[in-house]
Amino acid sequence: MLEIREISKIYGEGAAKVVALNKVSLQIEKGSFVSVMGPSGSGKSTFLNIIGGLDRPTNGEVVLEGNRIDDLDENDLVDIRRGKIAYVFQQYHLLPSLTALENVLLPLVFCGASIQENKALEILEKVGLGKRIGHKPSQLSGGEQQRVSIARALVGAPSLILADEPTGNMDRRTGREIMRLFDQLHKEGHGIIMVTHDPEIAGFAQEMIVLQDGQIADRISQKKGGKK
Amino acid sequence: MKLYQVVIKDVMRRKRRVLYAALGVVIGTATVVGILTVALAGQARIYNQMEKYGPNLAVVPAISNLDMKLGDMSLGTLSVGENYISEEKLPEIRKIADGEIREALKIEDEGNIAIIAPKLYINTKVDGMSVMVVGVEPEEEIKIKTWWKIREGKFIEGKGQALVGAMAAEILKLKVGDNIPLNGANVAVAGILEETGSNDDYQIFVPIETLQRAFGRDGLVSSVDIRALCNACPVEIIANGINQNIPGVRAVAVKQIAAAEMGMMEKMSKFMLALAGITLAVGLFGVVNTMMTSVHERIKDIGIMRAVGASRSQIVKVFIYEAIIIGIIGGIIGYVVGTLLAHAVGPLIFEGTTVAYVPQYLPLALFLAIVVAITATVYPAFRATRIKVADSFRSL
Repeated sequence: MLEIREISKIYGEGAAKVVALNKVSLQIEKGSFVSVMGPSGSGKSTFLNIIGGLDRPTNGEVVLEGNRIDDLDENDLVDIRRGKIAYVFQQYHLLPSLTALENVLLPLVFCGASIQENKALEILEKVGLGKRIGHKPSQLSGGEQQRVSIARALVGAPSLILADEPTGNMDRRTGREIMRLFDQLHKEGHGIIMVTHDPEIAGFAQEMIVLQDGQIADRISQKKGGKK
Repeated sequence: MKLYQVVIKDVMRRKRRVLYAALGVVIGTATVVGILTVALAGQARIYNQMEKYGPNLAVVPAISNLDMKLGDMSLGTLSVGENYISEEKLPEIRKIADGEIREALKIEDEGNIAIIAPKLYINTKVDGMSVMVVGVEPEEEIKIKTWWKIREGKFIEGKGQALVGAMAAEILKLKVGDNIPLNGANVAVAGILEETGSNDDYQIFVPIETLQRAFGRDGLVSSVDIRALCNACPVEIIANGINQNIPGVRAVAVKQIAAAEMGMMEKMSKFMLALAGITLAVGLFGVVNTMMTSVHERIKDIGIMRAVGASRSQIVKVFIYEAIIIGIIGGIIGYVVGTLLAHAVGPLIFEGTTVAYVPQYLPLALFLAIVVAITATVYPAFRATRIKVADSFRSL
């Protein structure tokens, strides 16, 4: 379970002060698929970064599976990124010098685990890229790159996947394909928190949280994964 | 896949940037290698000169001068010992000199190694003028005085012949074929030397046997010049050996002018190396600059690595590995450039010297280059670890 207690994030000081998040509290069950909606500047990316330990809240607590993660030091955050939480970004954020397979193996390189190419190949097969493993990111389409980045997130078997506008750079059809993949991962037991501004994409989640001006404006529960 | 492989793949993608960083290393390393190579060539040349010019050792009779005093009053000096060395000691001297050289160079060869040139000096009058006549072993003497050139006539070929120094010939008005009376014996002038600028110009050289007989000094020599024939030969050890084992003689290792030149050379080398050190430091700042740019360009990549689980020390490793690659590339290029530079500049400094390439400097160049590259990377790598993942993506 992920518990967020009154987190605030304030950038800058004085006249230039921007309140990105204002005392947001939330509980998300383990293994649920939640989308975070809201217009630009509503604080949704900041919200996601704080949950994932990429950014620290100005106030408040983030508790993941019973442990606070908002005040962890660098080394402990590294441990969290190596097992519990993985990211999927709008810009895919693959290393351009590595092939699809190598990008998927990268988390294993850093965590010092044995390099299980079979596992990586299996995951690439699952995300539908079994035939493109030797291609560099520049040789892949946006949808394919995002599949690589999802495979990379999965290789460390995280309990929670954080996705920041995962379909933001894609056409509608490709975006839907990626969402079907997310839906499948959710059914396999992965928790997913996804930020998006696209209501259709948000509709794939079990639950939709709407942020506005740094606060939760609405929380909509949707039965059974939404439209297909 | 290992982390260093990730780095190598990344370096391959950014070849130009990496070469540019390596350039900073190349400049410093090339200067060091160039200076060392030229200095080595200079030393070799000075050694050559040492080889060419004169004996390494002189053996003279052991004469001690005792100051005789009565209270504060000096009664002059008293010479103790003989003025000559017996020829019988020559084989012993040869045995010690050759023995030490064999030991130093680890050679088994049985023949004679050192050049042993005995001399007998007699001050006599020719045509009423005082002149120094030197008895020599002609074949040995010519090996020591490699710079001798005959102006007229030819070298001494047998008994009863003389070789006359340039100034002596002029003063005594001697020509090839003239006879010189020496205490009853007669020697014919076989040749006249070109001017050498040394004492030789004022001397007359005759076979030692002729001189010994004419002046009743049979079996006696005034001094012995020894040349050890090699740079590594242990002249000091030979001198000690002779002094300890042969009574009545004193052997002195001759300090050459070349040795002073060598000292000068060493000072120059140190000065040049200091300059090279500065070049290295300047190059280092160049590399720091390039690496800072590299960090900046790769903020996103660093963020990605951090997001997928890289620790700070792993980010440092990424940059250190890159520094090692830069060092290896820079070291190799630096060695090649430095050697080429030495080839171009060396002959200008030491005329007529061919500069050899020195393979031993390659590991040195690599070591220097890698140290410089790693040193230059410490701060940029530290900066890289301070990058926050969220910021790294926001900035794009």
